[in-house]
Amino acid sequence: MSGGTMLYGGDEIGALVFDPGHHSLRVGYAQEDSPKAEIPSVVGIGAHAPETNLDPETKTDNNVTPNNADSRKFYVDTNYVNVPRSQMEVQTYMKDGMIDNWELFEKVIDYAYANVIQSEPEYHPVLFSEASWNVRNNREKLTELMFEKYNVPAFFLVKNAVLAAFSSGRATALVVDSGATHTSAVPVHEGYVLSQAVVKSPLGGDFLSRQCRQHLEKHGIDLSPVYRIASKDVVKERDNARFTLRKLPENLTQSWQTYMQQLLMQDFQMNVLQVLENPYDERVAAQIPTVHYEFPNGYHQEFGSERFKIAESLFDNAMLGAGQLASTSVGMCDADVRLSLFGSVVVTGGNTLIQGFPERLNRDLQLRAPSNTRLKMISANGTVERRFGAWIGGSILASIGTFQQMWISSQEYEEAGKSQVERKCP
Amino acid sequence: MASGIVVSMKCKNAFEQIRRQKMHRYIILAIRGERQIEVEIVGPRDANYENFLEDLRKGGPEECRYAVYDYAYYHQCQGASSTCLKEKLFLMLWCPVQAKIKDKMLYSSSFAALKKDFIGVQKCIQATEMDEACRECVEDQLRSLDRD
Ligand SMILES: Nc1ncnc2c1ncn2[C@@H]1O[C@H](COP(=O)(O)OP(=O)(O)OP(=O)(O)O)[C@@H](O)[C@H]1O
Ligand SMILES: [Mg+2]
Repeated sequence: MSGGTMLYGGDEIGALVFDPGHHSLRVGYAQEDSPKAEIPSVVGIGAHAPETNLDPETKTDNNVTPNNADSRKFYVDTNYVNVPRSQMEVQTYMKDGMIDNWELFEKVIDYAYANVIQSEPEYHPVLFSEASWNVRNNREKLTELMFEKYNVPAFFLVKNAVLAAFSSGRATALVVDSGATHTSAVPVHEGYVLSQAVVKSPLGGDFLSRQCRQHLEKHGIDLSPVYRIASKDVVKERDNARFTLRKLPENLTQSWQTYMQQLLMQDFQMNVLQVLENPYDERVAAQIPTVHYEFPNGYHQEFGSERFKIAESLFDNAMLGAGQLASTSVGMCDADVRLSLFGSVVVTGGNTLIQGFPERLNRDLQLRAPSNTRLKMISANGTVERRFGAWIGGSILASIGTFQQMWISSQEYEEAGKSQVERKCP
Repeated sequence: MASGIVVSMKCKNAFEQIRRQKMHRYIILAIRGERQIEVEIVGPRDANYENFLEDLRKGGPEECRYAVYDYAYYHQCQGASSTCLKEKLFLMLWCPVQAKIKDKMLYSSSFAALKKDFIGVQKCIQATEMDEACRECVEDQLRSLDRD
């Protein structure tokens, strides 16, 4: 292929959009309404394979071919990671909102091209979203990887907060994003992040998962994930579970078991937790209908006030509560944009789907804003839009005809190198 | 970050007509063909805010638009018993809640281009619902510029 002459654009060749997060990587074709796949941001790492093909099972389900130098096996995506395997460790490639373990990350990208996109990388321009605090070194590394290893014809990198703001119809907004590992408040002004005023806390979905686990364990509830259960009986509410354990491979790793338990906790928090509109009050909480939840081993019960008490921890922290985070961020911006930011608070990220999150944020922020401030919360009603706001924004952006001039083309990359990303994707 | 969509010459002319010659009360702009921002409606000088809101939504409840409005109001000048007439230009990004995400994205990511070309706008207003586009809300925001 001769360099630089290839045509690319939304019409001729579909661009691809990648939106990485700690919970998952969202992947798909530009112009589509939602990502084709959501791949968990962890990779299963098998023990060193003694000799190939000794184990008939791995022939069929080892989905990423090990390279020659490294005899470990890598398992990508739910169907492969969630299978109990002796000595398989689970590791994430993300750290602090950024790609950190590039080796594992590449396994996932390889997998995405082979199994989700099912097409050759050199045919598709690629747009990536990134955390607003992504660092130069990382941005350049990703640019380099996409051009050098995957030979993409064009590349673009854009802050996920900007995409979330745009897809809500706002050029200026305070984007409050609560995902798996963190909650952040990111002011966006006319399409650019005001990076000196980005504020974040580690109170996200994973934090809630830990709170849930501690609470349930304290009450002696067995949290065996479904993979451990062979069969279970129907029992009355709060009666001891009657179940039999499945025969499992030996030497299941701690990292894998913890990961599987976290998935269970995510299901629990999604179905059970709720945030009160005002600070936690036992009497208020007690009046709200309880929620029934059944654990994989068959134990089930109604959950009442604890539903609210656990979720309260996202808001009642004096420094790191979501309302405090948002108002701190606005306070760090110039006085003349503060009103516009308060008037345009975009709520996004999976963890904000906990019932009552936007309402409580509204209440907490109103209290902290100067009196008479017009607050406006914008949160998509649909689960897909709320969780995939950044991906959807990227999907549309990458398909706009006039946007094609914005991409870093492979020719530009060849001429000027990876530093192009700082110039073209500020 | 911007979409690359450009502002047509006619838009720039219409803006100058409203800013300098005060020929119109407002102009409504739309993105056409995913390429360019064009003038859709020109509001005569004697049109009022209700006419404006109607024209803003003329394309339908799901349509995004931009608008420039030359807004006039009386201001109690400090220390004086008299009031003076003030005129301020605001630029509006109208992305109704019901609009398609695609249009919200197009309009919001092209807003910066417009703002760059429309020098002399005193206030930018983003609205997704009527409570942000209504007269009181807009006037509040314009008056708040007088206070300092
Ligand atoms: N319907 C729901 N109700 C409550 N919580 C949910 C719901 N859906 C997803 N979550 C939680 O949202 C979190 C994942 O959110 P999201 O997909 O935005 O994260 P991410 O962008 O991958 O991670 P991060 O932003 O930390 O990098 C998980 O903790 C998950 O349990
Ligand atoms: Mg996220």
